[in-house]
Amino acid sequence: MSSQDHHEESFISKYIFSQDHKWIGIQYGITSLLFLLFGFALMMVMRWQLAYPDTVIPLVGWMFEDGMLSPDMYNSFGAMHGTIMIFLGVVPMVVGAFGNYLVPLQIGAPDMAFPKLNMASYWAYFIGGVVMFASFFMEGGAAASGWTMYPPLSVIAENGETVWLVGMIFLITSSLLGSMNIIVTIVQLRAEGLTWGRLPFFVWAQFVTSFLLVLAFPPLEAAGILQLMDRLVGTSFFLPSGLVVGGEVLNVSGGGSPLLWQHLFWFLAHPEVYVLVLPAMGVVAEIIANNTRKPLWGYNSLVFAVVWLGFMSFIVWAHHMFLTGMGQGMSVFFQTTTMIISIPSVIILSALFITLWGGKIRFNTPMLFALAFLPMFGIGGLTGLPLGLAPTDIHLHDTYYVIGHFHYVVAPGTIFAIFAGIYFWFPKITGKKLNEGLGKIHFFFSLIFINGVFMPMFIQGLAGVSRRLADGGVSYAHAAGVLQWNEFMSMSAWLLGLAQIPFIINFFMTIFKKVDGVADPNPWQSTTMEWTNTTSPPLGHGNFETAPVVHRGPYEYSIEGASEDFIPQTQK
Amino acid sequence: MQIPYNEELRPDTGLYNAKLGIWIFLASEIMLFGGLFSAYIMLRVGAPVWPPLGTAQLNIPMATFNTVVLITSSVTMVMAWASLKMNNFGKFKMYMGLTLLFSAMFLVVKYFEYSAKLSHGFTPAHDTFLAIYYTMTGLHVIHIIGGMIVNGYLWMPGSKMWESNPVRFTNRIEVAGLYWHFVDLVWIFLFPSLYLL
Amino acid sequence: MSHDDIQHHVKTYIKVFMALMFFTLLTVYASYVDFDLAPELKAGAIFVGLFIATVKGTLVATQFMHLNNEKKIIYWVLGLTIVFFTVCLSIPVLWDSNLVGDTNFEQSPPKIEGGHH
Repeated sequence: MSSQDHHEESFISKYIFSQDHKWIGIQYGITSLLFLLFGFALMMVMRWQLAYPDTVIPLVGWMFEDGMLSPDMYNSFGAMHGTIMIFLGVVPMVVGAFGNYLVPLQIGAPDMAFPKLNMASYWAYFIGGVVMFASFFMEGGAAASGWTMYPPLSVIAENGETVWLVGMIFLITSSLLGSMNIIVTIVQLRAEGLTWGRLPFFVWAQFVTSFLLVLAFPPLEAAGILQLMDRLVGTSFFLPSGLVVGGEVLNVSGGGSPLLWQHLFWFLAHPEVYVLVLPAMGVVAEIIANNTRKPLWGYNSLVFAVVWLGFMSFIVWAHHMFLTGMGQGMSVFFQTTTMIISIPSVIILSALFITLWGGKIRFNTPMLFALAFLPMFGIGGLTGLPLGLAPTDIHLHDTYYVIGHFHYVVAPGTIFAIFAGIYFWFPKITGKKLNEGLGKIHFFFSLIFINGVFMPMFIQGLAGVSRRLADGGVSYAHAAGVLQWNEFMSMSAWLLGLAQIPFIINFFMTIFKKVDGVADPNPWQSTTMEWTNTTSPPLGHGNFETAPVVHRGPYEYSIEGASEDFIPQTQK
Repeated sequence: MQIPYNEELRPDTGLYNAKLGIWIFLASEIMLFGGLFSAYIMLRVGAPVWPPLGTAQLNIPMATFNTVVLITSSVTMVMAWASLKMNNFGKFKMYMGLTLLFSAMFLVVKYFEYSAKLSHGFTPAHDTFLAIYYTMTGLHVIHIIGGMIVNGYLWMPGSKMWESNPVRFTNRIEVAGLYWHFVDLVWIFLFPSLYLL
Repeated sequence: MSHDDIQHHVKTYIKVFMALMFFTLLTVYASYVDFDLAPELKAGAIFVGLFIATVKGTLVATQFMHLNNEKKIIYWVLGLTIVFFTVCLSIPVLWDSNLVGDTNFEQSPPKIEGGHH
C-alpha cells in the first residue's frame, strides 16, 4: 500500500479515514484523552456520593433524579468508570496513540505494515466508544455489574449490559487488528541495521504488549458471546441450576457455571493489566535514558524481563479467584506464579533506578513524571503482594485495599507515564515544547493529590471496607473508624481534577502558539530515530526521504570521544 | 518510501508481511475457539449427566456430508493458489468458484440442520448442550460467511490485481487460503467433539 | 517454487484429500464402537475421536497450510499460542478436580424457607 500518494488527498481521506499512522495515532490520542476526562468526571461524581451521602450534587445534580446519585446509578458509574478508563482511555492511549505514532518512526519504517487495517482499528474503537457512551442514555442506563460483569447478576440485570457486550466486541476487534499490525510492523519493517538488540526498549515493550493483546483477548470475546447468548437468547452458560431470583426459581435450563465467566474473563483481564503497564514502562525508559544522558542500565535484563513478564502474565489469572472455593493445589500454583511474576517487574524497576546513578539528570517535566512513576508503581506493586497470597487475600479481597493497589499502578503509574510521554513527544508532533512552568505546576499538584486519593484506600481496605458500596461503608459497623477518610479522598480527587487545568491550558496554548522559523527537530537531543526527521512529519508521504540505515544501539549517550553527549542511531 | 515486503520476502524472516499477519490473526482465532472449547469442557465436566436429559439428537449423516464438503473446499482452495503459481488464471477462477460453491453448500446444509432442530423446539435455551452446539457451530458459520465474502471479492473484483501485480495477488490468495484451511481445521475438531462424542 | 515443485505439490494435495476422506469415515465408524474404557466418561471414545481429529488436523496444517516447511517466526508464534491454548483448556478441567466443596454447580434447587429468601 503506497504511502506516497502525490495527488491531492481529500479532507476526508486525509483526516477522517486517514491511513497514515501518525494521524491515526493523533486520532487515538485525542479520543482517548476525551474518554479519560469523561471517566474521571464519573469518578468525581461518585466521590461526592461517598463523601456526602444522600446530598444533592453541586453543578451536575440537575442531571439526576432528586439531584443525587441513586445506588443503581452509582453502580453504573462505577462499572463504566472502570470500563472507560481501561478500554477507552488508557489502552488506546498507550497502544493506539503512542504505539501507532512512534513505533514506525522508531524503527525507521514508512508506515505500519497494514495502513488500511490501522484505519479500521481506529474506527472500530471509535464505534465501540460511541456505543459505550450511548449506553448511558438508553433505556435501562449503562451497565452496572462492575467492569468485571460477573454473572449471574450481569445476565439477569436489566441495565445496559447487552450494550456493554456489543461495545466490547467492537473494542476487542479494534485491539486485535491493531496489535497484529504492530507485531508485523516490528518484525518486518525494521530499517537496515536495526537488529533486535538495537531496538529501543519502548519498541520491545510494544512488541510484548501486542502479543498479550493478540492471545489474551479472544477468550474474553468468546465469553462475551456466551454472555450475550445468555442475555438475549436465554441460554444458561453462566446460570447455575436452581438459581433463585426474587424468591422464585429462574425459568432457564440451568447447568451453567458463573465460574466459567470468571475464568474466561480473568484469562484476558490479567494480561490486560500488563498491557496497561508495559508500554508505560517503555515510555519511562526512553525518557529516563534521554534525561540522564546515559544508556539504560541492563538493556539485556530489561528485554529478558519484559518478555518473561509477558509470558507469566498468562498463568496468574486465578489470583483474582482465590475466594471461589478453589482447592489447595490450584491455590498454591497460582500463588507461586504470582510471586514469581513480581521478579521481572522488580528487575525492570531496578534497572531504571540504577540508570539514574551517576547520570546528569535534567529535571524537565517529562522527567519529573517519569521519575515519579518509579516509586508510585513500586507502591502499587508492593501492595499487590498481600493480594497475591491467598491467606492475606481472604481478608483483603473485594475491599478498598484492592482499589488502592490497582489504582496506584495505573493512575500515578501508567497515567503519569502517559503525561510524561505527552510532554516528551509533544515537540515531535507539533514542533513546540509545552510550557515548563505550567508543566511543573501540573506535576507537583497531581502528585500530591493523587496520593491523597489513593493512599487512604489501603487504610479503609485493611479495616474491611468493601468496594462498590454506594453509601461508602456507612451501614457497616466495622467501617465506622475509617469513614472520615472518604471526605479527605474526595477533596483530593476534586483538587486533582483542578490540577489538570494547567495541563489543559498548556496543551491548547502551545498548539495555537505561533513560532518563527524552523523548529528544532530534536529538542531533547535524543538518539532514537523518531527525532531524525522533521517535526510534524508530513502525512501521507512515508516518514523518511530515504530508507534510514542504523549503525548503533539506541542509547549512545555520553560516549567517550564523541563531539556531543549523544550519537543518533543512524549516525555512522 | 513505499512499504516493502508485500511481494518480495524479507531476507532475515523469509516472509512477506501478509503471511505473518494472517498467522498472527489465526493465532488469535485459535485462542477464540479455545475459549469456547474450554467452556464446552467445563460445562460437560461439571454436568451430572451428559448429554443432558431430553436434549436433541444431532444429525450425524448431514454433518458427515458437511465435513466432506468443507474438506473438498479446502482442496479446491489450495488448488486455486497452486494454479496461480503455475500462471494459470483460468484454472484459478475455476477452483475459486468451486470453493465458493462448496462453501455455499455447507451453509445450505447447516440451514436445514438448524431449522429442523428449531422447529422442534430445540432452541439454545433448551439445555447447555444445545447452547454450546449452536454457539460454536454458529460462530463457525459466521467465519465461513466472512471467508466467503473475502473469497468472493478475490474471485471477482479483486482479481483485477492479477494484471497489475500478480505476485501480490498470488500472496493474497495464499493468505486467504490459510484462513480457509483454518476454518476447515476448526470444523475437523468441532465435528467429533459435538456430534460424535 | 518451480512449475515441477507445484505439480508435485498438487499430487500430494490429492493424496491428502483421499486420506482425509478415509479418516472422516473412520472417525464416524469409531464413534459407534464401544471402547469400554470408563464408559460413563466415554474416555475411550473421546481419546480415539480426538486422536483421529488430530491426525486430520495435522494433515491439513502441514500439507494445505504448508506448515511443514514454514519459517521459524511462524513456528514460534504458533508454539506460544499452543502453550496458552493448552493452559486455557486445561485449567477449568483441573479446577473441577481440586475444589474445596463437592462441585462448582449446585445441581438441586435449594430449599426456600418461608416467604423471604
